[in-house]
Amino acid sequence: MFKWEKLGKLFDPGERQSGSWMHAFAQSPSVVLYETHVRVYFCTRPKPDADGMYLSYLAYLDLDRRNLLDIVKVCKRPLLNLGARGTFDEFGTNPISVIRDGDEMRVYYAGWTRCESVPINGAIGVAISRDGGESFVRLGDGPVLSYGPDEPFMLGSPRIRKFGATWYLWYVSGKEWLKTEGKPEPVYRIRMASSEDGLNWVKHGRDLLERRLGEHECQACPDVLFAGGRYHMFFSYRRSHHYKSREGGYRIGYAFSDDMLNWQRCDEMAGMEVSASGWDSQMVNYPHVFMLDGETYMLYQGNDMGRTGIGLARLVSPRDWGRH
Amino acid sequence: MKWIKLGKIFDPAEHELPLASVGFAQSPQALVLDDRVRIYFSTRERDRSGKYLSHVAFVDFDQRMQRILDVSRRKVIGLGGLGCFDEHGIFPINVLKDGDRVLAYTTGWNRKVSVSADAAIGLAISHDQGLTFERYGSGPIMAAALNEPFLVGDAFVARYGGVYHMWYIFGLRWIRQSEEAPLDRVYKIAHATSTDGINWRRDGRLIIPDTLNADECQALPTVIHLDGRYHMYFCYREAHGFRDQHGKGYRIGYAWSEDLQNWTRADEQAGIDVSAEGWDAQMQCYPHVFECENRVYLLYNGNEFGRHGFGLAVLER
Repeated sequence: MFKWEKLGKLFDPGERQSGSWMHAFAQSPSVVLYETHVRVYFCTRPKPDADGMYLSYLAYLDLDRRNLLDIVKVCKRPLLNLGARGTFDEFGTNPISVIRDGDEMRVYYAGWTRCESVPINGAIGVAISRDGGESFVRLGDGPVLSYGPDEPFMLGSPRIRKFGATWYLWYVSGKEWLKTEGKPEPVYRIRMASSEDGLNWVKHGRDLLERRLGEHECQACPDVLFAGGRYHMFFSYRRSHHYKSREGGYRIGYAFSDDMLNWQRCDEMAGMEVSASGWDSQMVNYPHVFMLDGETYMLYQGNDMGRTGIGLARLVSPRDWGRH
Repeated sequence: MKWIKLGKIFDPAEHELPLASVGFAQSPQALVLDDRVRIYFSTRERDRSGKYLSHVAFVDFDQRMQRILDVSRRKVIGLGGLGCFDEHGIFPINVLKDGDRVLAYTTGWNRKVSVSADAAIGLAISHDQGLTFERYGSGPIMAAALNEPFLVGDAFVARYGGVYHMWYIFGLRWIRQSEEAPLDRVYKIAHATSTDGINWRRDGRLIIPDTLNADECQALPTVIHLDGRYHMYFCYREAHGFRDQHGKGYRIGYAWSEDLQNWTRADEQAGIDVSAEGWDAQMQCYPHVFECENRVYLLYNGNEFGRHGFGLAVLER
């Protein structure tokens, strides 16, 4: 079992008065390491419109590499514009995953569009930075990973990785929309695609994880790292109804694999639980694990899907990521 | 090419169609069977909000295209489920005999908020000579892509030399003529190939040069191989004012190719134009070319995008 020491809430845009475009929410943290600082890309939102609908933008904050609780910089404006009229990402770019690739950086993101019969739809886009991650430009007006016969809607939650020369994308695909008393709720699960160039993708075509919460379990944010000779995935999962409460809210799960395709789910090993009180007492979700200067850390969101910010935890044990 | 007009051959008001049709018989496309020619089209109903839903229906003609034998009495293919790409309509449907099966390439429509709708191409398969179709998955086989951001539709599929070729359209941009005007879409014809009819490789280029202007809308390509050449018919129009302004509505365009890659546009050789008066005097759109008993036919819609039915022309040879 993993043992994490919670280091506390790192950042809450609502407390910082960071600007109208960064009114609330710090979601989907994704780390890129620099010599003197650790950059955390994340998604943030202005106030909702009159109908309660949100936009979401890409942002970053920089942490002092020697003291990760010290925020040295917060970006001043969105790093990526929203998409043009009628495109898949007209209303938001969230969640995100950022990767360095030589002199360039790429962000893979879920684009938000709005529909009549269901609130939103999503597909995965890509944008590139050639100024060290200060700004991103999309590579096309359309998505880089789009719908298919068995992935009909709600593609999202991308996590981009490169192992050797091959690009891997873990993501989620919608299975069905459930009718509820309020808005329809989507059911989605974790999948994988691979690519030679990060642009032309071969979808693996099946759900990677078994279900623990029944037919309508939602699984998201498949955060994969390679350590101790095998692949580890931290992810979040929840029920499809009443998920904004402590009982039904997101939890962090864990699975491991030797080949990236066949995964053994062992949520009981994840070791990351909700707190008794406070900002992460109802849910913990959207984990992102990274290694830095001999330590392993997890960034994650708390209550209300990250409305109240991002927290940080440090791995206490095991230290060696060996077989456990 | 020279076409002899045979007039309007089907008026949806004269038949009892399933699904509470309120008119429209759009984008007629033929499946030539042993004893009949089955012509699929899209008809419309209004939903509770007053908006249209497009449904697939068909009419059977004898092989001389002179007599109506039957019209579809049951659902040919239902609409997609909640949140699916084809939840609010299928229009058009392109059918292709493939051994014992009939493949249908559908254009599915779903309603959006900032623009009226989006579209993607689905596949459905029939094992009963096209009476009914089952979806190949609840999602599309051709959807938006990096450089094809929306409105992917109007597939026409043909097999040449063991390869499936698809001609289709995708949207480039949504634009307004003026600040108060509604948004209009711009779309163009493209090409993709496949070895199985399911997984497609796109060319990534626009294959038909514009003649009106950069915002010309090109739609519904249909291709036939005759006398050693590939002939493409399609329709095209201005981006704005195309519903009601004289001269801005759909016309039938034409291009030819010898290699399926390079197309020469030659609308003046289309061999068909709007009539001086009558059902196809303001507009001609949604052409579909097919061959039956050594005759080559052109199905198409006239005024009001096919609200009042479709007509037929035969190639003079």
